[in-house]
Amino acid sequence: MMASNLATQYRDLTPAKALDKKTLNQMAWRSLFLQGSFNYERMQAAGWLYGIIPGLKKVHTNKEDLALSMQHNLEFFNTHPFLVTFVMGIILSLEQEKADLATIRAVRVAAMGPLGGIGDAIFWFTLVPIAAGISANLALDGSVLGPIVFLLMFNSVQFVARFWLMHWSYDLGTKAIEAITRNAKEFTRAASILGILVVGALTSLYGGTTIALTIPNGESPIVIQTILDGILPKLIPLGLTLGLYWLIKNKNWSAVKCIGLILVLGLVGGFLGIF
Amino acid sequence: MTFSFLQIVLVMVVTFIAAIDQFSFLESLYQPIVMGPVVGAILGDMNTGLIVGGSYQLMMIGSMPVGGAQPPNSVIGGIMATVFAISMKITDPQAALGLSIPFALLGQYSVILVFTITSPLMAKADEYAAKADTDAIERLNYFTMAMLGLFFSLVVFAGLMFGQAIGETLTTALPEWVWNGLKAAGGMMRFVGFAVLLKVMMSNEYWGFYFAGFALATIVDKAGLGGQALALIALIGFAVAVYDYQTNVKMKQFGKKEVSDDGI
Repeated sequence: MMASNLATQYRDLTPAKALDKKTLNQMAWRSLFLQGSFNYERMQAAGWLYGIIPGLKKVHTNKEDLALSMQHNLEFFNTHPFLVTFVMGIILSLEQEKADLATIRAVRVAAMGPLGGIGDAIFWFTLVPIAAGISANLALDGSVLGPIVFLLMFNSVQFVARFWLMHWSYDLGTKAIEAITRNAKEFTRAASILGILVVGALTSLYGGTTIALTIPNGESPIVIQTILDGILPKLIPLGLTLGLYWLIKNKNWSAVKCIGLILVLGLVGGFLGIF
Repeated sequence: MTFSFLQIVLVMVVTFIAAIDQFSFLESLYQPIVMGPVVGAILGDMNTGLIVGGSYQLMMIGSMPVGGAQPPNSVIGGIMATVFAISMKITDPQAALGLSIPFALLGQYSVILVFTITSPLMAKADEYAAKADTDAIERLNYFTMAMLGLFFSLVVFAGLMFGQAIGETLTTALPEWVWNGLKAAGGMMRFVGFAVLLKVMMSNEYWGFYFAGFALATIVDKAGLGGQALALIALIGFAVAVYDYQTNVKMKQFGKKEVSDDGI
């Protein structure tokens, strides 16, 4: 079943009871496994759903709504693994309020995008080099404290970030909800604009696909990628995304069929030396 | 030096956990500085493990798993470097690291394989979701993690049983173009994810914003602001969205007022 044939609203539109601290903490623990089912197509989608299941079960007490919520929460998702609880808190406050699907989806996409760079800067470019620098020298002196110091430094920051962001962003979301529902239609439109802008940015930033074809031309072979970049940088990622969109929308292709096509394309291209 | 059955099993268990940990769980247990001494302790020489792990860790500072790029895998690299340093009594950690490179490459291949296999499994996940089967989603998540752990354990098992030569043999078992092709396909599969997202989010009035986001990202990326590009673009997008929201809310209020004015 394709996620695109979903209803646009939950059946039960009565806002659910606020989530208790225990459920929020459960989701923060589960957020550790965000990348469990990581894959090239939807990246962290299944791990994201896995993480918010405790909250969704509390919020959607009838099975149809739970199914609907689970389906749209399986769409493409990718954010920084250590900051994901920020997105969880906001999305759960919207699910609890039974906001319409377009709103939840747009907010989810808009919130997940920008966190990647911030998280990399904090964790991979700052925390790990500092912790590793200190502890590696201990280890080289033959001290067992090396790995212990490393694990303590890294994980204390990680856990504070995960749990604090979870509770903070859930509160933030619940407080903002009144303003959101007052002008729900306008909010959905604005969130969709931001969400779609982010998808456009992702197409370029996550799109690393280039081709290695050259046409022999004596001393200076013609590099096809350079010509493509001259027409429009990132033309291949854009073209592939729009092509797949067309296949899915107008030819009713399923995601699996698209993946098959990409695999064939990759292997044939690999064989011919295009990539 | 030959390893006992128990040592082999323990190293495989540790590898299993580290393989999962590189993407999930604590995302820090897998680092060479931790794996070196743990594997060293299992093989009876923790000191060598500390030194190999520490040197590998220092080497790795600055080459972090950022933005989905897969460097030759440091999990297996760290584990096998420690194994070789201890079994072959190599005192220079760099030399041990060199021997571990084919295995690090095999680790990288395993990751590509698991991420590829899991892509079509998402269609199964859709079915589970449509039935609101939360248990099945959880099982799927555990299954894919176990698959990654198992692949890694098997690579390390081969290294422990057959020595460093097996690494070379296995890396050449499949021709390079297959891996190149799979890697390229892996890089393109996300466009399927984007396309599905577009299908559900898009209506004709929004196309301009899609292309604007694409253009902004390309420009910001060209300016060398890779990692922060999305945050900067989100700021611009935020301004546009807030402006659109305020305009539409005002128009709505204005419309209402006129109606009520007419009523009086």
